[in-house]
Amino acid sequence: MLREIKKYRWMYFLLIPGIIFFFVFKYIPMYGLKIAFLDYNQYAPDKSTFVGFAHFIELFQKDAFLDVLQNTIIISLLKLIIGFPIPIILALMLNEISNLLFKKVSQTLLYLPHFISWVIMAGIIGALLDPTNGAITQWLQALTGEKIMVMTDPDYFVPMLVISDIYKGMGWGTIIYFAAISGVDAELYEAAWIDGAGRFKQVMNITLPSIMPTIVIVFILNCGNILNAGFDQIFMMYSTFVYDVADIIDTYVYRMGIVNSDYAFSTAAGMFKSVVALIMITVVNEVAKKLGNEGLW
Amino acid sequence: MANNKIKQSTGEKVFTVFNYMFFIILSLVMIYPFWHVVMSSLSSADAAMQGGIFLWPREFTIDTYEQVFKNRSIFTGYVTTLMVTVVGTVLGTFFTATTAYALSKKEMPFSGIFLFLVVFTMLFSGGMIPNYLLIKDLGLINNRWSLILPGLISAYNVIIMKSYFQSIPSSLEESAKIDGANEVIIFLKIILPLSKATVATIALFMAVGYWNDYFSTVLYINDQDKWALQAVLRYMLTNTNQAMQNAGVSVVAATNVTATTIKSASIVVATVPILIVYPFVQKYFVKGVMIGGVKG
Repeated sequence: MLREIKKYRWMYFLLIPGIIFFFVFKYIPMYGLKIAFLDYNQYAPDKSTFVGFAHFIELFQKDAFLDVLQNTIIISLLKLIIGFPIPIILALMLNEISNLLFKKVSQTLLYLPHFISWVIMAGIIGALLDPTNGAITQWLQALTGEKIMVMTDPDYFVPMLVISDIYKGMGWGTIIYFAAISGVDAELYEAAWIDGAGRFKQVMNITLPSIMPTIVIVFILNCGNILNAGFDQIFMMYSTFVYDVADIIDTYVYRMGIVNSDYAFSTAAGMFKSVVALIMITVVNEVAKKLGNEGLW
Repeated sequence: MANNKIKQSTGEKVFTVFNYMFFIILSLVMIYPFWHVVMSSLSSADAAMQGGIFLWPREFTIDTYEQVFKNRSIFTGYVTTLMVTVVGTVLGTFFTATTAYALSKKEMPFSGIFLFLVVFTMLFSGGMIPNYLLIKDLGLINNRWSLILPGLISAYNVIIMKSYFQSIPSSLEESAKIDGANEVIIFLKIILPLSKATVATIALFMAVGYWNDYFSTVLYINDQDKWALQAVLRYMLTNTNQAMQNAGVSVVAATNVTATTIKSASIVVATVPILIVYPFVQKYFVKGVMIGGVKG
């Protein structure tokens, strides 16, 4: 064993920066979760007292947190249900385009919003939805006769979040399916063609089943994100007018923790989210494997 | 594909036409918001206040840009972000590579444990507050390193690189070893040069991440002089008049400029680098995801 280790000594040497990084910036914060179980004294951390699950109990007795939890689940479920199939459909459709230049240009434009920060996206969307001179506001007004203030109207804000999230991510989401499609054996199509199957039948009977493992894996990963309703996006766009529907766990943690310095309580809220994510991804992964799919691990 | 030239049924022809039209419209929808902002930034205050659809600038003017460039905080934001992006990307890519190379050797004792510890960080994390308290304890509040260090290595990038390194034939390393080179030399002289495409992809991913990072500034930097570009931009967008006033420009008095055009111009100024570079590097991103799609 020691000889083995010595043999790889230079490898361990290369690993040192990585070990230090993951230890300091990933595992120390995990250890830092302990303050969720403390009556944390930020001025004298040593004097903090252990309170067990008190903060978690408080969390579930607070209407504010339950509302936030509900908002989080609604927003992220809507994003998942509506947003998940779209990249798959787009990838299948774009794959049917035979003009390579057209395909390339379409792809380039579709991916673009992924590279733009939510600060900028929120700025652009805010401009288009401006109550007085926004292009979309004026257009909606011409269409419906009503002046709809999407950014401050609780009825329209969540649909706006879902649509803008899909807008930003759908193109980029297709890439992983393209990778899967490009790996499909061309002979399968030839065989299907000889059997008289048209393009549509080929897509349904060959392409779709072939990329199913990828679809399952992306779905598992998305399930792990069920309590991530999109912090960056919502933080840039929400306002007190729409807190009732748009305040999510992360924005709540930010306001409780960073703004109000209630570290222990907000850490408990954040930890609840991380634990649910870990459980979700594990459970969905096991279920996927039981159903005969290849899981993440 | 072999069967492209095969006769299509009527249904398939209809679909083909529909499909092309669909993607033309979708492409226009993708590009229009950006086009709109550029056109609005080049329009006069009156035209911008009327709003509506901008296909071209209305009452073309560059007055807005003249005013926006008077705002020095945009430059300090640019400098900070450039610095953070360059330093973070160079260090981050290098250390991602060293970590990934070491983990690519399955026979190495404990490599399984190390790999698990890396992958686990993708499934579970300390979250916002413990991260904040860590930076505070490290004394990095208000220090630009707080914008760089927390994002230096991501498990996802390590996995992508590790898969690639594992696909390199080990015979290359073996022969170098016979010549007496140790793994550090092999890594620097053989592995890295062979992995240019993957390294470039990871570097691009990281650069975009650093360039677009807003929240680290919110969490860790109080001093406005040290704000990253996205934070400066955010302030310009939400407190337009105040931000311009700080820069000595009164939006009310300045002719032909209004909050709307100032916002548009700020967005353009912060986005142009990405829009210029993006079409040229886009194919590398795609390649990167393709490599990452291979499970390792």
